[in-house]
Amino acid sequence: MNKPPVSVLVVDDEIQIRRFLRAGFELEGFAVHEAASAAEGIRLATLKTVNLVILDLALPDTDGASVVERLRSWSGVPIIVLSVRSSEDEKVRLLELGADDYVVKPFGMAELLARGRAALRRQTSTAAGDPVVRVGPLTIDLADRKATIDNVRVQLTPKEFRLLQALAQHAGNVVTHQQLLKEVWGLPHEHDAHYLRIFVRKLRHKIERDPSRPRILRTELGVGYRLSYDPTD
Amino acid sequence: MGLQGLSTLGSPRQPLPAASARLSDGRVAEPVKRFIYSMAVTLPLVALVTLCLVGVKLVVDLQHISSAYLIPVMIAAVWFGMTPAILVAVGGVASSAFFFYEPIYDFRVADPAQLLDLPLFVVVATVTSQLAARARSHAVLAQKREGEIRTLYAFSKRLAVATNADDIYSAIRDHVSSMTGCRVVHWASEETPGPDDAVPPSVRLAAMQIPTIDPPGGGWLLRPISAVHPEFGVLAIEIGKVAGSARQSVRQRIDAVLADASATLERLDIGRAIGEAKLRSEAETLREALIGSVSHDLRTPLASIIGSASVLLQAPALMNEPRLAGLAGVISEEAQRLNTDIQNLLDATRISAKSVSAHLAWTDAADIINAALDRHRNHLAPRQFITEIAPDLPLVRVDAMLTERALLQIIHNAIKFSPEQSTIRIQASPMREAVVIAISDEGKGFEFEEKDRIFDRFYRGSRHRGTTTGSGLGLWIARAFLAASGGRVDATRTDGTTVTVWLPAPPLSESETQGLSDE
Repeated sequence: MNKPPVSVLVVDDEIQIRRFLRAGFELEGFAVHEAASAAEGIRLATLKTVNLVILDLALPDTDGASVVERLRSWSGVPIIVLSVRSSEDEKVRLLELGADDYVVKPFGMAELLARGRAALRRQTSTAAGDPVVRVGPLTIDLADRKATIDNVRVQLTPKEFRLLQALAQHAGNVVTHQQLLKEVWGLPHEHDAHYLRIFVRKLRHKIERDPSRPRILRTELGVGYRLSYDPTD
Repeated sequence: MGLQGLSTLGSPRQPLPAASARLSDGRVAEPVKRFIYSMAVTLPLVALVTLCLVGVKLVVDLQHISSAYLIPVMIAAVWFGMTPAILVAVGGVASSAFFFYEPIYDFRVADPAQLLDLPLFVVVATVTSQLAARARSHAVLAQKREGEIRTLYAFSKRLAVATNADDIYSAIRDHVSSMTGCRVVHWASEETPGPDDAVPPSVRLAAMQIPTIDPPGGGWLLRPISAVHPEFGVLAIEIGKVAGSARQSVRQRIDAVLADASATLERLDIGRAIGEAKLRSEAETLREALIGSVSHDLRTPLASIIGSASVLLQAPALMNEPRLAGLAGVISEEAQRLNTDIQNLLDATRISAKSVSAHLAWTDAADIINAALDRHRNHLAPRQFITEIAPDLPLVRVDAMLTERALLQIIHNAIKFSPEQSTIRIQASPMREAVVIAISDEGKGFEFEEKDRIFDRFYRGSRHRGTTTGSGLGLWIARAFLAASGGRVDATRTDGTTVTVWLPAPPLSESETQGLSDE
């Protein structure tokens, strides 16, 4: 039986960007729809079957944030934002609004594909109810509340596990400081970033081979953390 | 014939201006003090002369002995002016009448010719004191001129180096202020004075009027700097609460100073200077805007180039064509380099526009180092990188992004100026409320004389100019970004170069450590 290809919607007003994104995605077996404006993007997202949205933030008609908001009002489709801005606050705001991840222009296709695939994988595994998340040598069993490194059980305190769990639920994608703080310490501590720093350090000592050069629990400076493993590192 | 009346008139115990000696506030006025002082000096002199003459008279009998009193008269005239001199003259004549002219010990005189002494003494006192006064006023005038020329010189020197209108205005303000000794506020008519130049609302209101009028209530004086050039703006001078006539004289002095100042301003062609300064600052703004917009316009196509090259690199068709894949790699690499250069230009523009603002947050210094290293991932080989991060590093409180960009520049420099196959060492260790990061390379290092300049804008080491490319912005950006975060940077000569970065790591407060217990 022939599985229908995963379809991706690219919303960007720059034709050259759309061209290379189309080529890059088609090479990897995706079906690509293109939109040059926010309005067209939203129209296509309602008309077509779209599994992944690549959204440029600098659109001529509206800003990217309101597109994320509109899409999220009726759809859980994974959204990866393309940002030129170096403003970390802007990225955090978009992630809070419901975007799944971001890449900063200029970016390579491999980076975008990794982010997109991670977001797609999370959606399918959530749908399938698979409680086991694998990130390189690290395996997290969300149902049994246990983590193993190369099949060796890691002893974690309750807070450390909650932190790992929050990251594992979005494995491959970034989780903002605020999201992590809310999930582990609760809303009143949303801005106590130093809690997070200290617990991330503890966690790295338990799961990383070289805690000072982390390969699994990665830092997205100014934004948050990401569980991802790149064997070429 | 009696001189009694005259003598009493000159008595020092009844100083003439006694009636006006005291002002309402009870302080003795300056001229009265001076008068009392002059009497205290000269009258003992008269007494001394008298004593000497009495002594001389015991030995020899001299005629016209009274002319000796001309000495104190002239002294009084030269030192203290006409009134004390005349009083001393009268005192001298009275003393000679009393002590030396027949009948002795009586103010009456037998020989009318001896009465001539009095007019003679008075004439000497008057003429001498006038001459002395004129000489004195010349001296004072010369001194005042010298002072004025000096302040004027300082003023014109400040104008010559002024790079914008504000510099010129503050030079004018300081100049007028130093000449009047009052607080002076200046503003160009279309603006309002800044918060620290606070003036009462009534003064502000009055300053908006044309022609400028003095605000009600006194205390402030308003003057346009120039009647013909309203663009020079208005000066508000806080002359303070001074009473009646004194206020009038202060006012006149300020007017005189302003008349002088405005003439000077016109002579120095301030109008043109202000215009030029404005032009210069506009040119600067334009340059910054141009760099900003050009950088943005360059980045958009760069994103397409880098993205397209990355697709080519992954295309199966190219994977079997290593030479073509290599070309795609070149496109990608060079475009990345261009992107870095543009980012540096943008950073430099932000620094010169003073729009770098730091968002301080608790951060793990190791994360910043790793982020900076990750960005250089493709350029690290073939150099060996050794990172030694102390396990007990305290959290630093910095702007993570700015600090990362600073480290990026320093690591980039270390790569650029060290040979391939060498080692670059990055060590991070705690040190009294700071984290110290040392980046050491095995390059040629810098000359000792260059130490203070390698962090300067556009500075490029003399020995590298011919061999490596670069803008000379890197370390300058690093220093500015670190400073914005409260950190600092220094370079020392080791086997190569060691750049040391200090990041502030204040202790966590008690409330901040509360939630850290682990259930």
